Amino acid sequence: MQGKCGLFFTSYRGEARIFRSGFQKLMVGLFILALLAAPLALNIHETSVMNLVFIAVIGAVALNLLTGVCGQISLGHGAFIGVGAYAAGQCTLHGVPFPLAILTAGLITAMVGMVFGVPSLRLKGIYLAIATLAAQLVLEFVFLHGGALTGGSSGLLLDPPTILGFVFDTEARMYYLLLFFAAAALLMVANIMRSRYGRAFVAIRDYYLSAEIVGVNLFWFKLVAFGVSSFLAGVAGGLWAHYTGYISAEQFNIGLSISYLAMIIIGGMGSVLGSVFGAVFVVLMPEALNALANSLSAAFPGISQSLVALREGVFGLVLILFLIFEPEGLVNRWRLVKAYWKLYPFAH
Amino acid sequence: MRAGQIITAACTMLLAGLMLMGCGGEGDKPAQTATTGSESQADTSPIRVGGLIDLSGPTSSVGVPYADGLRAAVRYINDNGGIGGRPIVFDLQDTAYNVQQGLSLYKKMVNTDKVVCIQGFGSAVTEALVRTQAKDQVPNFSASYSAHLTDPRTAPYNFFISADYSTQLRAALKYFRSQWTEARAPKVAFIYPDHPYGLAPIPAGRAYATELGYEIVGETNVALNAIDATTELLPLKNKAPDFCWVGGTTPSTSVILKSAKNIGMTSVFFTNIWGTDETLPALAGADANGSFSNQAAAVYGKDVPGMKIIEQITGGKPQMTHYVRGFVSILTMAEAMKRAADKGAVTGESIKDAAETLRDYDPMGLAPLISYFPDDHRPNMAVLLYTIKDGQLTFVAEEILDRRADWLGH
Repeated sequence: MQGKCGLFFTSYRGEARIFRSGFQKLMVGLFILALLAAPLALNIHETSVMNLVFIAVIGAVALNLLTGVCGQISLGHGAFIGVGAYAAGQCTLHGVPFPLAILTAGLITAMVGMVFGVPSLRLKGIYLAIATLAAQLVLEFVFLHGGALTGGSSGLLLDPPTILGFVFDTEARMYYLLLFFAAAALLMVANIMRSRYGRAFVAIRDYYLSAEIVGVNLFWFKLVAFGVSSFLAGVAGGLWAHYTGYISAEQFNIGLSISYLAMIIIGGMGSVLGSVFGAVFVVLMPEALNALANSLSAAFPGISQSLVALREGVFGLVLILFLIFEPEGLVNRWRLVKAYWKLYPFAH
Repeated sequence: MRAGQIITAACTMLLAGLMLMGCGGEGDKPAQTATTGSESQADTSPIRVGGLIDLSGPTSSVGVPYADGLRAAVRYINDNGGIGGRPIVFDLQDTAYNVQQGLSLYKKMVNTDKVVCIQGFGSAVTEALVRTQAKDQVPNFSASYSAHLTDPRTAPYNFFISADYSTQLRAALKYFRSQWTEARAPKVAFIYPDHPYGLAPIPAGRAYATELGYEIVGETNVALNAIDATTELLPLKNKAPDFCWVGGTTPSTSVILKSAKNIGMTSVFFTNIWGTDETLPALAGADANGSFSNQAAAVYGKDVPGMKIIEQITGGKPQMTHYVRGFVSILTMAEAMKRAADKGAVTGESIKDAAETLRDYDPMGLAPLISYFPDDHRPNMAVLLYTIKDGQLTFVAEEILDRRADWLGH
C-alpha cells in the first residue's frame, strides 16, 4: 500500500505508525521545540491563552474520542470536567500530592462517566444526547448542593499545583505542566485509536449492528469509551481547577458542554488533530474578535460595543458555516492544503 | 541508542531547562505602576483600570446600565482632576458572563496593560478571579455581592459597595419584624432559583428568620428564566406566608408577582437587589405595586448631591439603579486611589491598603456610608428598602444592622 509519495508500507504495523515518514517526525520535532521555547517569546497574557488552549485540547480530545470516534454523543462533557475539578480539588485539599490527585480525579470521573454511559447500550443519537444532558443537570445539581464536598454556592478555593515541592504558580510554569498533560492526552488518544479498541469504537460509530456481528461487544466498548473519555475530562477538570484556583458550580454548565461540542465539530470529528484545531479555534476566536474590536475602536469609536454584541452571533454563524461548507472540520481543510502542496504544481 | 530515544532525552532536558527559566519569569508584580512616591508629585501618567462586565451575556440587561454608570463616573473623576492630576484610563471589556473569557481578559489587562484595579461584575467571573487577584495584588471592586467575598481571609482583594446578599435579606427580615403588630409569629417563605446567586443568602436568611421569631413555612425554586410560577407558588399559598422573599432577577420576579396575583396570594413580596429595578413595573404592570426590594443606591432623581451630578451628566435622562451603583463603585475606588496617591505609589496593593482605611466614606449621598477594615470587607450593614407605588420605586426606610462578627462571610 502506498502512503506518501515514495513511501511504501510492508507491514500493517508500519502503516499504523503515528508518524509515517522522517519528514513528519522532523516537522513534529521542530513544532515541539517551538512549543517548548514559546514562553520565552510570548508575554504573560499570550502564555495564559496558550494555557487555556492546552486545557481545552485535553477536554476536546476526550470528547472527540467518545463522540467523534465512537459515535456516542454527549451533552454532559462540561459536567464531567466539573467532576474532575471537584475531585482533584478535594484530593489536594486533603493533602494528596498533585499528580495523584489528577489521577484520582480522572478515575473518579471515569467511574461517573461510565455510570452515565450505561444507558448508551439502549439509547442512540438524540436519545443519548438527552440522557447525557440529564447527566449534566444531575451533576450541576450535585455541584451546587454538595455541601462541604463542593463548597455549595461558595465553591472551593485551591492552591496552585505543587510537584515535589515545585510550585506551578506562574503562567510559564503552568504552561509546561499543561503542555505535558495535553501532549500526553493526545498521545493516549492517538494510540487508542490505532489499537483494537479504537477500531471497535469506529466500527460502533459506523454501524453498530455490523460491529456486533463481527464480534464487538457493544456494551463493553461503549462503556470503555465513556470511561476513557471521562477520565481525560476529569484530568482536564483537575488542571482547570488548579489553574484558576477557584471552582464553582457556574463554571461547569451546559454552555461548557456545548462549547466542547463546537470544538470537535469545528476541528473535525474523529480526529486527534481536529481536536487540537477546534480547541485552538474556539479559545482564540474571542481573543481575535477582541483584538479586532480594539484595533477598529480608534477609527470607529462605537464599533467595539457593536462587535461585542455580535460575538455570540458570530460564533453561532461560524458554527453554521462550518456545518454547511466544511462538515469534516478544520482538519479536512488542513488535509486539502497538504495535498495541494504535495501535488503542486500539478492539480491532479 | 536509537534516534528516538536521543530525541526524547534531548526534549526532556530542554523542557527541564526551560521550566527552570520559567521560574523567574514573572517575579515582578504585574499590577505595579512605574511611579514612586517622589515621582508621583509631578506625575500625570494615566492610572489604568480594567472593567470586566457582562455586556452581551445572560446578565447583560443589568450589566450594560451598570457599565454606563462606571464610564460616567470615570469621566466625572477625570473632569475633576483625576487622581491627584492623573487621569483614570478605563478599559471596559465584555466577559459575556463567561469564566474563560473573563480570565483571559483579566490576564491581558493585568499583565500586558498593567491595570492596577478591576471593576468586576457577575459571580462566575468574580469568583474565578479571587485567587488570581490575591496573587497579583489587584483589587476588584465587583458587583457580585455574595457574602463570602467580604471575608478578607477568602478574598483579600475583593471589595464591593453594596451590603452583601445575606445582609440584605437579614435587613429586610428585621424591618418587617419591627413592623409586625400581630400577636402570632409572622410567617415567611423563600422563593429563589436553584442557582449559586439564589442560594447564597438562604442559609443566612433561614437562621436569622428563626432568630427573629419568624415561622418559616416553605421554600420553593423558581428558575431565572421561568415563564410561569403557578405550580411552584400553589403549595406556598396553602401555607399563607405573610412575607415571601424573592431571590431572583427582575424577569423572574415579574413572573412570580404575576403568578401570585393570578392565584390570589396576598403575601408581601420582597426581593433581592437584582430582583427589582425600574423595569419591573413595566414587566409586571400593576402586579408589581406593593412589592418591596432591597437596594444599595439611590434611585434616579433622589435629592442628594451625587444625583445632581448624575442628572447633569445624563442631561436629565433617567437611569436605572444599576447605573447609580456603577457610579458609586468608581467613586469609592477613586477615593481609595486618592488616599493611596497621597501616601505614594498607586499600586494594587496600595489601593487595597487605602480602601481598608475608609471609614464612613460618603459617596455623595448616592449610597449608605462605606467602610472597609483589614479583617472585614463588608462596606456597611445598611440596606435601603424601596417599595413600588404607582409603578415607581419609592423609598421606604434605611435598615441598619449590627456588624456582627459571626455574620462575616456568611
